[in-house]
Parts: sequence; C-alpha cells; structure tokens
Amino acid sequence: MPEPRATPTPAGEHAAPVGAALSGVDPTDPGAVWRALGAAGIIEALYPDGVQPDPRRLSALLTELDAGCPLGVTLSVCVQVATVLPLLAGATGPAERARRGMLRGETVVALAVTDAAGSGSDLLDATTRVKLGDDGAVLDGGKDWITNATSCDAALVLARHREARHFTSFCWVLAPADAPGVTVGSAGRAFAGSGVGHLRFAGVALPPDAVLGRPGRALAGFARQVGVERVAGALWARAMCHRMLAGLRDWLRRRPAGAGTLWDRPAVRERYARCLVATHQLDALCAPLLDAPAAVPSAVTGMLLKVSAAETVDRVAAEAVRLRGADAFRDGGEAQLRTEAAMFGIAGGATGAMLAGIADHADELAGAVT
Amino acid sequence: MNTEFTELLRPFLKFAGPEEITEDARLRDLGLDSMREIELLFAIEETFGVAVPDDKLVDSTFATAGGLWGVVEELRTPVGGGSR
Ligand SMILES: Cc1cc2nc3c(=O)[nH]c(=O)nc-3n(C[C@H](O)[C@H](O)[C@H](O)COP(=O)(O)OP(=O)(O)OC[C@H]3O[C@@H](n4cnc5c(N)ncnc54)[C@H](O)[C@@H]3O)c2cc1C
Repeated sequence: MPEPRATPTPAGEHAAPVGAALSGVDPTDPGAVWRALGAAGIIEALYPDGVQPDPRRLSALLTELDAGCPLGVTLSVCVQVATVLPLLAGATGPAERARRGMLRGETVVALAVTDAAGSGSDLLDATTRVKLGDDGAVLDGGKDWITNATSCDAALVLARHREARHFTSFCWVLAPADAPGVTVGSAGRAFAGSGVGHLRFAGVALPPDAVLGRPGRALAGFARQVGVERVAGALWARAMCHRMLAGLRDWLRRRPAGAGTLWDRPAVRERYARCLVATHQLDALCAPLLDAPAAVPSAVTGMLLKVSAAETVDRVAAEAVRLRGADAFRDGGEAQLRTEAAMFGIAGGATGAMLAGIADHADELAGAVT
Repeated sequence: MNTEFTELLRPFLKFAGPEEITEDARLRDLGLDSMREIELLFAIEETFGVAVPDDKLVDSTFATAGGLWGVVEELRTPVGGGSR
C-alpha cells in the first residue's frame, strides 16, 4: 500500500506556475485572479486535448486558489474551467470568440442552468425559453443563483426550445450580458468574490449564431459536463480539508491546556483523527481520477464524488469549528468557511438528488466485489 | 430486438425485474426517468457505435423499447445494406 500523503498529490510541478501567476495579485479580486491566470497561460494549459481539463493540472489550480483566495473567488474560476470552457469547445462565431477570450483571462462567461421557475434538481421543469427563428433567437426567462452573474461578459444559458418535458427539449444560447433585455440582481453578501446573482431575460434578441451546438443535445451535454464539475468540486474539497486539518493541527499543538496543549488530549486527537480518516477516504476516491487522461467520470462516479466531497467538507469544517472554540469565529475563520462550504452539498447537484440518483445504480454498486 | 439491446436496457428500467422486455413496453412505465434516459442515450451510442441524429432526438424516440430499437437498428444499417 502506498504511504498516505500529508498533502494532496499533485502539488509541485503544476502548482508552482499557478503560484507564480498569482504572486502580487489581489486574491479577493476575481477579475484580477482570472486575468492573471489567463495571462500566464495557466487556463489554456489546463486542456491538453483542447476540450477537457487535465485532472492533475485542475487539482493543482484549485489547491493553489483554495490556499490563497476566498471561497467565492475559487468558485468563480472553478465553474468556468470545469464546465463553461469545455461546453464552448468546438463552437464557432461569438461562442468561439468568448472561449478564446476566456483562455486569455479577458472574458468571463457564466453558466446559467438553474432556472428561476423550478427546482435546480429537476431541470425539466425549467421555463426559460428560446424561440428559434431564421433570423435569430429570442430568449425569455430567468436563472437564479448563477456564479459570475454580476461580473460576466456573457452567460451560457440552458433554454427550452420545445415544450415536451424531456431532456431533448433544451439548447444552449450565449447571451451577452449587455444585450437589451438582460438584467442582473445580486444574490446577497454570501460567497464574496463569486459574483453570484440572478439573471433575467426579457425578449432578448440574439443572432442565429448565439445558439450553440445541436439543439436537443444541450441537457445531455450538460449532464456529462457536470460530472467534470463534480470531479473539480471533489479535488477542491480535499484541498480545503487538508488545509483546514493542517491549520487545526498546528493550532491545537500551540493551544495551552493544563500542563501541555490541546493536542496532548486523547479525546481531541481522536476527533481530529476521524477527520483524517474521512479526508483520506475522499483522497482515495479522487486518486484514480487524477491518473485519468481527462476528468470525465461516469454519471454515478460523479454523484458518489459529489456526496462524498460535501459530507467530508461538512464533517471537517464542523469539527474544526468545535475544536477551535471561539477562535473559529475570527474574520475568515472556520465558522464562516463552514457556512459557505455548505455549498458543496448544493451547487452543481444537491445531496438529496445525488442520493436518489445513486440509489438508481444500486445493482451495479452493491454487486459483486471485484 | 436483439439481446444485447434488451440487456443494455434492463438496468435503466427499475420496475422491469427479470421479465421479458417486449417491443411495446413503455419505457416510462418500466421506470426510465429523464436523467437516466440521458445515460441510456450515451450507453446506446457507445455500445452500438452510433450517433442519434437531431431529428431523432425527440421524446417519442424514447417512448417504447421497440421504437428505440428501431432507431438504433436504422442507424446501424449501412445505406443500401442489411443489418450488421
Ligand atoms: C454558491 C452557489 C453557486 C451556484 N452557481 C450556479 C451556477 O453557476 N450555475 C447554475 O446554473 N446554478 C448554480 N447554482 C445553483 C445550484 O446548482 C442549485 O442550487 C442546485 O442545483 C440545487 O437546486 P435548488 O437550490 O433549486 O434546490 P432543490 O433542487 O430545490 O433542492 C432542495 C432540497 O431538496 C432535496 N432534493 C431535491 N431533489 C431530490 C430528490 N430527487 N430526492 C431527495 N431529495 C431531493 C435537495 O437535496 C435539497 O435538500 C449555485 C448555487 C449556489 C449555492
């Protein structure tokens, strides 16, 4: 059995250029971080096959961002590199121009899937509609809780072009943020740096080339790509857990208690050790993905990763808050991180919906041990 | 319908059990939901080496086992030739 590692595997080779690119950049400014990553060629280098991110580079990027930036800023980068850029690959016209701008860090594109009208877990209820015609398309509807909504140049919008409640009824539309009829509202103060907000589209007239890919394939394409977002989320979650655990260990070792420190107390060490176990279970789930040529998991692997990442972050963050006591409530401390990190169990797939999907795979998952 | 197809279909149909899957079996009634329908589309394309064209990407394609098999078989058949 290989020796367990103290930090996530990929560091070194791919992490150093990210660190160099971000040196001197304000880590709380998502635009500055994105531009710096683009200018240094980090974003382009993520895609050796031109479409999907290389898992080790993705892991290094998210680990470095997690170490230095607020959660919201990492989220802003994560959605774009794991989901938007691959979905735009192979496009032509304005989408291709947007993609090139994104690779240089000059353009920000939001992913607008979760509909204002329905549950994010059942996209078939979405009512955002696009009317397709010979001279263009008209977009109407709304999308809620969209990362980068308040800062984007354009939004990649999942819109219904047919009425049937079926996965083939959707297509992708690229809507410029400054097009007449597009408005954006803030989603509040949580997730600073993520630009999360609500988008509204009222009779937005778009040229024919604003419609991307093959109509009818959009939801299927998204279902596949969201698996990559789940891989990214798991890689990010483990980086966050390792970071919290390293900080917690150092703090416990310094914290006076009786004749020694809190670290000397068996009860404290046991609670800490349980977090190590959970984090190493997540590491083990991620390990085979890091060796894959591209970060595209099967649907069920994506769901397993999503639930595992959410539960591990929640467990580690909760214990970090309990073990640190009042110190957890310092500015930017574990208490605040725990609140925002609850998004690992919601954004890109809520845990309840993931569990429902996993149960559908019971035969294959509960089957013979190989 | 060939056996490879019905066996590929079975894990997606949570209410099918071990019963025979007939051509007129309605996939929704046998428990196929929309998100699993997407997985089924990918599985079919991968297993049979076909790409379902835009005009067949509609809800009616996925209505019955026989209807879906008909589309797969048509895509597998080289123009002017018989079934492979
Ligand atoms: C910080 C943040 C950033 C986000 N960024 C984006 C973005 O960039 N783009 C985008 O499109 N969306 C984004 N979202 C939206 C996100 O994807 C949705 O919130 C998510 O899909 C869940 O949908 P919902 O919030 O409507 O919850 P619901 O789907 O309404 O779920 C509510 C509850 O019901 C449970 N539930 C749902 N279905 C089932 C089921 N079948 N069985 C059992 N329980 C179930 C869920 O687990 C949850 O507890 C973001 C959300 C957050 C919080």
